[in-house]
Amino acid sequence: MEIQKDMKCVVLAAGEGKRMHPLTFTRPKVMLPVAGRPVLEWNLLNAKNAGLKDFIFIIGYKSEMVRNYFGDGKKWRVNIEYINQGKPLGTAHAIGMIEHFVNDFIVLCGDTIFGKNDIKNIMKKGMKIGLVEVENAKEYGIVELKEKKISRIHEKMEEPSSNIINAGIYHFNKKIFNFIKKTKKSPRGEYEITDSINMLLEKETIDSIFLKEWRDVVYPWHLIDANEEILKKINKKIEGKIDKNTTIIGNVVVGKNTRILAGSYIEGPVIIGEDCKIGPNCYIRPYTSIGNNCHIGNACEVKNSIIMDHSNMPHLNYVGDSVIGQNCNLGAGTTIANLRLDKNNIAVILNGKKIDSKRRKLGVIMGDNVQTGINSVINVGTIIGNDTLIGLSANVEGEIQPKTRVL
Amino acid sequence: MCGIVGYNGFRDADKVLIDCLKRLEYRGYDSAGIGVIGKKLQIFKDVGEISKLEQKIPHIDGCIGISHTRWATMGAVTKENAHPHLSGNKKIAVIHNGIIENYKKLKEELEKQGVKFRSQTDSEIIAHLIEKNYKGNLEDAVCSALKKLKGSYAIAVICEEEPDKLVGARNESPLVVGVGDNENFLASDIPALLKYTNRMIFINDGEICVLTKNSVKVFNENKKEVKKKEELIKWDIKDAEKSGFPHFMLKEIYDQPDTINQAVRGRISEIERSINFPDNVERLLNNDLGSIYIVACGTSFYAGLVGKYLIEQLTGIPVFVEIASEYRYFGTRKETSLVIAITQSGETADTLAALREAKNAGCKTLAITNVIGSTATRIADGYILTQSGPEIGVAATKTFISQIIVLFLVALKIGSIKNEIGSDESYQYMRHLRDLPKQVRAILDRSDDVIDIAKQIKNSKSVFFIGRGINYPLSLEGALKLKEISYIHAEGFAAGELKHGPFALLTKNTPVVAIVTKDFTYDKMLANIGEVKARGPEVIAIADEDDTEIDKHADFVIRYPSNSTMLSCITITVLLQLLAYHVANLRGCSIDKPRNLAKSVTVE
Repeated sequence: MEIQKDMKCVVLAAGEGKRMHPLTFTRPKVMLPVAGRPVLEWNLLNAKNAGLKDFIFIIGYKSEMVRNYFGDGKKWRVNIEYINQGKPLGTAHAIGMIEHFVNDFIVLCGDTIFGKNDIKNIMKKGMKIGLVEVENAKEYGIVELKEKKISRIHEKMEEPSSNIINAGIYHFNKKIFNFIKKTKKSPRGEYEITDSINMLLEKETIDSIFLKEWRDVVYPWHLIDANEEILKKINKKIEGKIDKNTTIIGNVVVGKNTRILAGSYIEGPVIIGEDCKIGPNCYIRPYTSIGNNCHIGNACEVKNSIIMDHSNMPHLNYVGDSVIGQNCNLGAGTTIANLRLDKNNIAVILNGKKIDSKRRKLGVIMGDNVQTGINSVINVGTIIGNDTLIGLSANVEGEIQPKTRVL
Repeated sequence: MCGIVGYNGFRDADKVLIDCLKRLEYRGYDSAGIGVIGKKLQIFKDVGEISKLEQKIPHIDGCIGISHTRWATMGAVTKENAHPHLSGNKKIAVIHNGIIENYKKLKEELEKQGVKFRSQTDSEIIAHLIEKNYKGNLEDAVCSALKKLKGSYAIAVICEEEPDKLVGARNESPLVVGVGDNENFLASDIPALLKYTNRMIFINDGEICVLTKNSVKVFNENKKEVKKKEELIKWDIKDAEKSGFPHFMLKEIYDQPDTINQAVRGRISEIERSINFPDNVERLLNNDLGSIYIVACGTSFYAGLVGKYLIEQLTGIPVFVEIASEYRYFGTRKETSLVIAITQSGETADTLAALREAKNAGCKTLAITNVIGSTATRIADGYILTQSGPEIGVAATKTFISQIIVLFLVALKIGSIKNEIGSDESYQYMRHLRDLPKQVRAILDRSDDVIDIAKQIKNSKSVFFIGRGINYPLSLEGALKLKEISYIHAEGFAAGELKHGPFALLTKNTPVVAIVTKDFTYDKMLANIGEVKARGPEVIAIADEDDTEIDKHADFVIRYPSNSTMLSCITITVLLQLLAYHVANLRGCSIDKPRNLAKSVTVE
């Protein structure tokens, strides 16, 4: 395959991700963990495996977290440069800033996970845009096609005319910058790359590439789906210490210095990070990712969930179909409901707006530094803001703002 | 106070410079300007707020530049006086925040050498000095030029001949470097840059920094490179304008050590042991003054009451302090009197009316204000600026302090003109003034003590403040601060007056704050505290740190460092401000915008 030597990969990683509240109150969207790594790291790894070595991360919101985690990229054997977007003025503004640093380049949205082979295809000669077909195109920008060539690209619309959408991955060359400069602010007040592309389309042709792997995370519960998808592909790897009388079935990853104590029953696929203490006597079910320095104690059951670093469920807890932030501690007996008695889809209130999660099973989305009291009960689809205290025997549901005390 | 920004990178410099400058608007907003090097050096400046400049300015191509927002302290608010200032050959542009003390001498020297000045500012001389010293290397020229300057400055300089270089320097005015990727920044403070980077390098007094797109080098006065560490700032942008403080009021309280320096700067010569004001002000003070009237409203009125004690003590001239809205209708006006109008904004309608009345009656008039070019400065025969920079919190803090300092300087000046105080005595006071910022800083460092006291009184329905002498107006100010931001009813009384009425209101639940200084009324104050305690209230004493006796009399004691009874009014005020702030904060009040109040009252 012919790849230009100086091809760079530009990753858009500046966004706050308001629809990912409360998890993004304390981290940028691209640093949300899925299967033990930030979303951005999965992209970096896939792009690297596709043959890209030089990266430019466009950062903004809580940029130091991205910079501290990835550094100059040596750990991944790639080069990473950073550009701070300053004002978040839209995708065209972000890409316009890198004019002096690139020739032929790939742009990908850092908060969507792209597959290695798709990135490889996009890298082939000529400008290209990645597309996918989805069931509900309302949340995305529609793309019109004419014999495999792109004819027009739209922003989100209420009544989408087709199911083919812009996946958020592009192959551009220097020509795009001429059109970015001419791009005017859109009705929502941003400079959109789609407007620049439409102007470019009047002069040039852009190929379309249908992606085979694509996982978009818009709302917090999409992390659970993305997590499941990646976990399906993992292989067994045990680096920690496993006690006698434990049961480990299927593909389970156990990190360094982690101890699995007697009586633990772990059903893969499951990822457990480093320095954790698991058990004794706990039940960890499929599609669970546990971060570093966590403790899952006696008589706890965890299922289809993401538990971030330094969080504990030490005794008598049930956590299902949930995302638990960093530094959380569940009091003894804290249980999380994840299924309505009428088995209907679960609605969530996020940023004051009611949203159908389209999931029959959904537990809690818990921000960082939350503590719950003993025997507290958390209803299905509850959002708990960071730095919140839930009192003993409290009964919580709906949306709880950050730094609240629920008694 | 002014705000400065510098940029060297890959973005359109004009956009970045104006964007960052907007976040410095709190430092001044009477005029603004920008200079960018594209093909050549271009500048654009105008009178008015930054948003006005932004609308008018044409796009200037270029990726390196400087911008400035001005709060005039020398030279009127005009386009010529706005920054940047250009050197004679128009190849070097300079922006400056601070005050050059020896500018007169330097200006005369430069004029002798044939330099033509375009503005009335002290800042322009820096541009000319740098040009005189320029031999192909900008930082060397800056270094040599700065050696001639006395005073405070934070500057940023660009030069058409070296379009890849941005040079900054500081002495007693703030300056930080923001480190980016393929770009670097300079600014008066951190919030201006946070949108673009949160990695900062702090520049110290006497240091010069040289910024290219990819490097930051810092040198000391002797051109030796200094190794600097990057610091990571973790504030949210929301908190940033308050420099990490939760409220503007608290930020402004913590600004006060600098405010004191600013109010004194350029006005004291310790070597000559003299106080220097502009000639027309000195002429006003150098009259055979029969009496002095101070007219003002609100907090400025209390500053006037403090001024009364200071001026009477140091000059022997009787001083009458009048509320402006009363004085304009009922006050007596004698041609032998000096009428001093105190107004922070220079636009307070009542004070302006009183000032006009006095002037029409033939009195000599002097305005003490924070805003150059304001109506008060135009009406009065002379004016003295408090030089405290814009104040955003509605409750006046740093401007009150600087008004008192200016009144103290006026008292010293008249006192020495009238030979009421000798040069030794006035030198003592100058030294005390010099130590004052340090003492205020010490109080701010121990503000936890005040929080403990604030917890004691936060649930009270009513709080009384008492004091004698200069501490009486401080009681009034302490009560005003408390009531305006915490909504607790508060009253200040002369300590001797309590028994003539207010005693009836004392209960267990009305704490009394007693301000005690170790002067000849000390024993009387202890007696007053005893009287109060006998009626049940808890007494919180604000006392000298050497005062060991007071613990036996009061329930709680807050201490202030002091070396002069007269200037202890400043340190005590800071304690009273902190107390009001923390009470209001514990009660969850809207501190920066109290209900029903506006910053400057321009209606009668």
